[in-house]
Amino acid sequence: MIVLPLALLWIGALVTACLDGRKRSTQAIALAVLLAAFWRVIELARAVVRSGPFETTAGGWPPGIGITLRADALGVTYAALSLGVLFAALAYESAGRVRSRSFPALVLAIGLGLTGVFLTADAFNFYVFFEISMIAAYVLTSYGERTRQLRSATIFSLVNLVGSAFFLFGIVALYHATGTLDMVEIAGRLDLAGQNSSALIGTMIFVAFSIKLGIFPFHPWLPPVYTGTRVAVAAILSGALANIGSYGLLRFGAGMMPKQLELASPVLVVLGVASILYGGILAISRHEPAEVIAYSSIGQVGYVLVAVAIGGPAGFSAAILMAIVNALAKPLLFMSAPLRGWALGIPFAVGAFSVAGIPPAAGFWGKASLIDAALTTGSSIERVSLIVLILVGSGLSVFYMFQAYQREYWEPHEQEGRPSARGRLAVVAGLAVLVVALGVWPEPMLAAAKAAAAVLAPGGGS
Amino acid sequence: MTLFTSLIVAVLFGAGCFLLMKRDLLRVVAGTILVSNALNLFIISAGLSRGAVPILPFPDGELADPLVQAMVLTAIVITFGVAALLLSLVYRVYTSHLSLDLEDLAAAEEREAEDDDRPDPQADEDELWTTGEDER
Repeated sequence: MIVLPLALLWIGALVTACLDGRKRSTQAIALAVLLAAFWRVIELARAVVRSGPFETTAGGWPPGIGITLRADALGVTYAALSLGVLFAALAYESAGRVRSRSFPALVLAIGLGLTGVFLTADAFNFYVFFEISMIAAYVLTSYGERTRQLRSATIFSLVNLVGSAFFLFGIVALYHATGTLDMVEIAGRLDLAGQNSSALIGTMIFVAFSIKLGIFPFHPWLPPVYTGTRVAVAAILSGALANIGSYGLLRFGAGMMPKQLELASPVLVVLGVASILYGGILAISRHEPAEVIAYSSIGQVGYVLVAVAIGGPAGFSAAILMAIVNALAKPLLFMSAPLRGWALGIPFAVGAFSVAGIPPAAGFWGKASLIDAALTTGSSIERVSLIVLILVGSGLSVFYMFQAYQREYWEPHEQEGRPSARGRLAVVAGLAVLVVALGVWPEPMLAAAKAAAAVLAPGGGS
Repeated sequence: MTLFTSLIVAVLFGAGCFLLMKRDLLRVVAGTILVSNALNLFIISAGLSRGAVPILPFPDGELADPLVQAMVLTAIVITFGVAALLLSLVYRVYTSHLSLDLEDLAAAEEREAEDDDRPDPQADEDELWTTGEDER
């Protein structure tokens, strides 16, 4: 049952790779495959809700020898989120004109890699699926093949290769220290490894995922890549691929190395705060909307990092909520900014509200849960400074999002151009409605985040 | 033996990192290949046991850890694929810029930014691509 979405995406990627992706029929096949895989993941989620997490071992090997796939609330939430974003981005690009024959196949390959990453229980298998999605993303970044895209693809692939190298170092060192690759068993045996080596391994894995996420000292690759690629690809990178970073921090940090995470939490808070302030201030100074959104995403991952550092069920569920909200708002902003047509200020404004954390949009619940988590921390000084920080960060984001909105939609443009393709408007409108709907009726999202956090920090109430 | 392997890994990794700092893009790619190969050697040396080949029927005495070999095989294939991809990407960069010097690439970027000094270059591109005569 877990293998089914992976098999669907794998076969779909192979079939569409042989067909011409510029044709409508190929795009329709790819969209159908993504939808089917999304549906299977939703079914998986239902099964997890009904009867708890479950696993299969590939090839009928006994557990402990074969490679295990495991579906739990955390992985299923992330997989559904990423496949949904990929579907929106592919529909957006297909509604206009797909410019290269490999585009639908690459999107499916990213979907395969991401679903595999979120549903595996084996650390090395995680790396393999991670590389599948990263390599597809390297190629996808050059989509469009103008000089800008080629340059951003070069930057993206070189920087992220170094990140992947760090990650593989970490995984292999974990294997050497614990003698197993199964994530649950690694968590159990990590005490054998000794404090120094496990702290070193934790640092390596943290650096690897920070590079993926674009957290403050590891961020310089992010703005040129997000602004240089085509809009749909920027949406995929910010909405789907960035999920690997936050998922990895949660799965490896909170799930497998909780003691090391606790040890590192002051560092995480400092880096998160630096990201929030740096991203916010630089976003204010930028003019092109894509650049504003790129810097704002550096700021937004800062919140995820702060939430992970707070820890506990409340902190982890806040981190997951922030990741969900981000993964919806960023693609919405990237895809609505370049469109022209009737009432397009509204979806952009919805995305802006979500980033700023203003009520009718889903982003409010991310910020609210983060403040809720901050209230659970130890001393009152910590509590007050964290809440002040969250409010300052929100203030910055209101400011830069409003600035971008004003520049885009209040000033008359010299070249209005014809309205954009209807399909694109429909995708953007759909995403905007989803963001508002999750803001008005947040129960499913909150329940998913709580269940996912319970995987990492079992027991305790919020 | 452990010291020897770790020295080799360290030297390869250091040389790779040194090349990563270079201005020439081809050297940077060579640097990533060296780093990846240092990694492959590291994977092999992370095996939990050393000894005879682990093929049935097992010989007496200690066996080599087969898992790291499976892992390094996967890693070598990934390294190879990524190196090929990077080289083709660098070739495309060369054909469009006629240079592989990172300073030249940065200069080209600034030139382009000045050239299209319109309010939102990406939006205009999108307009041309989505609503033009190419619509099928």
